[in-house]
Amino acid sequence: MLLDYFELNSNVMMHYFNSPEGIETLCSDMEVDHTDVRILMLAWKMKAEKQGYFTLEEWRRGLKALRADTVSKLKKALPELEKEVRRPSNFEDFYSYSFCYCLTEEKQKSIDTESICQLLDLVLGSQFRAQVDYFIEYLKIQSDYKVINLDQWMGFFRFCNEINFPDLSNYNPDLAWPLILDIFVEWMQAKQS
Amino acid sequence: MLMIRGIALFLDRTYVKQNPNVRSLWDMGLQLFCKHLSLAPEVEHKTVTGLLRMIENERLGEAVDRTLLNHLLKMFTALGIYSESFEKPFLECTSEFYAAEGMKYMQQSDVPDYLKHVEIRLHEENERCLLYLDAITRKPLIATAERKLLERHIPAILDKGFMTLMDGHRIEDLQRMYSLFSRVNALESLRQALSSYIRRTGQAIVMDEEKDKDMVSNLLEFKASLDSVLEESFSKNEAFCNTIKDSFEHLINLRQNRPAELIAKFLDEKLRAGNKGISEEELEGTLDKVLVLFRFIQGKDVFEAFYKKDLAKRLLLGKSASIDAEKSMISKLKTECGSQFTNKLEGMFKDIELSKEINESFKQSSQARTKLPSGIEMSVHVLTAGYWPTYPPMDVRLPHELNVYQDIFKEFYLSKYSGRRLMWQNSLGHCVLKADFPRGKKELAVSLFQTVVLMLFNDAQKLSFQDIKDSTGIEDKELRRTLQSLACGKVRVLQKFPKGRDVEDDDSFIFNEGFTGPLYRIKVNAIQMKETVEENTSTTERVFQDRQYQVDAAIVRIMKTRKVLSHTLLITELFQQLKFPMKPADLKKRIESLIDREYLERDKNNPQIYNYLA
Repeated sequence: MLLDYFELNSNVMMHYFNSPEGIETLCSDMEVDHTDVRILMLAWKMKAEKQGYFTLEEWRRGLKALRADTVSKLKKALPELEKEVRRPSNFEDFYSYSFCYCLTEEKQKSIDTESICQLLDLVLGSQFRAQVDYFIEYLKIQSDYKVINLDQWMGFFRFCNEINFPDLSNYNPDLAWPLILDIFVEWMQAKQS
Repeated sequence: MLMIRGIALFLDRTYVKQNPNVRSLWDMGLQLFCKHLSLAPEVEHKTVTGLLRMIENERLGEAVDRTLLNHLLKMFTALGIYSESFEKPFLECTSEFYAAEGMKYMQQSDVPDYLKHVEIRLHEENERCLLYLDAITRKPLIATAERKLLERHIPAILDKGFMTLMDGHRIEDLQRMYSLFSRVNALESLRQALSSYIRRTGQAIVMDEEKDKDMVSNLLEFKASLDSVLEESFSKNEAFCNTIKDSFEHLINLRQNRPAELIAKFLDEKLRAGNKGISEEELEGTLDKVLVLFRFIQGKDVFEAFYKKDLAKRLLLGKSASIDAEKSMISKLKTECGSQFTNKLEGMFKDIELSKEINESFKQSSQARTKLPSGIEMSVHVLTAGYWPTYPPMDVRLPHELNVYQDIFKEFYLSKYSGRRLMWQNSLGHCVLKADFPRGKKELAVSLFQTVVLMLFNDAQKLSFQDIKDSTGIEDKELRRTLQSLACGKVRVLQKFPKGRDVEDDDSFIFNEGFTGPLYRIKVNAIQMKETVEENTSTTERVFQDRQYQVDAAIVRIMKTRKVLSHTLLITELFQQLKFPMKPADLKKRIESLIDREYLERDKNNPQIYNYLA
């Protein structure tokens, strides 16, 4: 049914995929801001590979999974999608996906800290407000790191989940935490005392 | 009693012996005496206090009747009431006396005097035991005295006196301290005091940046003084010996890299020519001592880099005091660190020797005989690039004759060793020039750059800075240094207008007609031969670069054999393998870099574990 619908409406839906403008139009049609985290979740659901582009296949995969064949149905499916993503079993995957989704260039492995700050705010902000705020503050004043790689990105997620905040009592720099977190913790402790 | 026994001797000998339930006269006498004494505790008490007072008086320095003491105490022993009636109050009394005395003396006198006093006291008490006390009292008596005089004052003694004794190198007093302390098992505290003393004093030597120049000799002196204290005062105690080693290792690595560099420099000074007045043996001894310090250094690679740089200068400029000493130093380093460490250094020596041969055969060769321009002689060092420090290539427009010479030599060399590449290091060249000054002929020993500049004045009287720069092609900074050395140094072959220490853009130079000098052969010190700050930092930087590669290599090596390893184990193993100090944070950085470059990955399920990616 969906496919039929898709075929029927292909002319209408066509302008939604395969271009950044298409996604923007989709957002405004759904009355959702294009920087909304749910758009990122949608991309995750579609397993979209390239930022700003939904390919035909991805588009189909996503719509099918969400059982949506119109823009309004898609909009209604978003809260359910958000719940799905927020489930612990999915969230880590989504978190790591969000990093990879932002790698736009070929062979790019890391993301500049400025974008990282925005991305962190977007994906972790609601869950770990304090950690994210402090980490962003740190990233903005430090000068050692201009980019963040996936390992550091995932390290921060573990940090948020495992470390008591803000007392940091169970943080041990002798463990395999990425160095940037060691320095971040040192900075936090200096700030606190 | 003796008399009674004498009268009834026969009775005593025959009757008593056969009847075991009858006591001998002697025993009976004693028993009766004892009985009466115990009936009159007053007497016993008086006797004991009397005894104690006498002993106290003797301790205070008065002469007392020792025979009387002896007799009375023998009586106590004979009566079997010695330990109960006398020894106990005696020990208590002693304890009180020495507790009070210890307190008083500690406040009054300084530590060496106090120790001397304690020694005397202990000796006296010992004597007392021999003279009139019962032998069994000796141990508890001495122990009491030791406890009150020494044990409780140990921290105070160490606090108050140890540093001054060490600083004053008071061998005897220290020895006294050591032997007294060993009596009360306080050597551990002494050892700790020693350790903290070395650390504190050593730290002052190492951290004082203004005295960097003397750091190595100060350290050597310090070490020598400690060694003599160890030998003469601390009877070569092994634990103390290790303490000295540990503390030295700690303090010399307090400052990263600089000590290693300074040790290398120190050796350079010793091995460079011009150290007259030092015999071969003395030099050898100094090298051995320095090697002891070298042993403590954790960053041996820093040492190697600086040593190599200085060695290169000594070899190339012929400044080495003695090749034997150089070689003996290399072999010492070899035994210390293995042949891998000295490989390149030995290669440098080989290059120099080989160069001599090459020069010889070059002179014999037909190319040299037929084509060489006459009037100059040249010798060439052919160096293997990998062994020697790297020198930045410097351009210079050589005089025609030298160019021809270089080309012919190149031709000759490549005909012998094909497939090699020769690169001329102009900045290392040096020459001897014949100069015809109006006031006498001279020979000038100068660098190649200086030569090139001076030769311009064969055809000109006055040249501007720009002229010289254009015709020599020497890099600006280098040229300024060269001109400075020729016109502003001790030996002024050129004159600069206007006068001044620094070379400016619109300065001009003329040949110094009025040059005089007492010697025929004159060395014009080249400023560029001195170590520049940049050179120094670049050496250090190169060492750090090298270290990074070594860390990377070690990580990959370990992971390649282990395939899967936890972070902590990897760090432990790295610390074992690496021969220079590294902070854990630095290691983390290298691990992360290798993850980035996909040599390793963090395990998906356990972030504490790394997997090797083939």
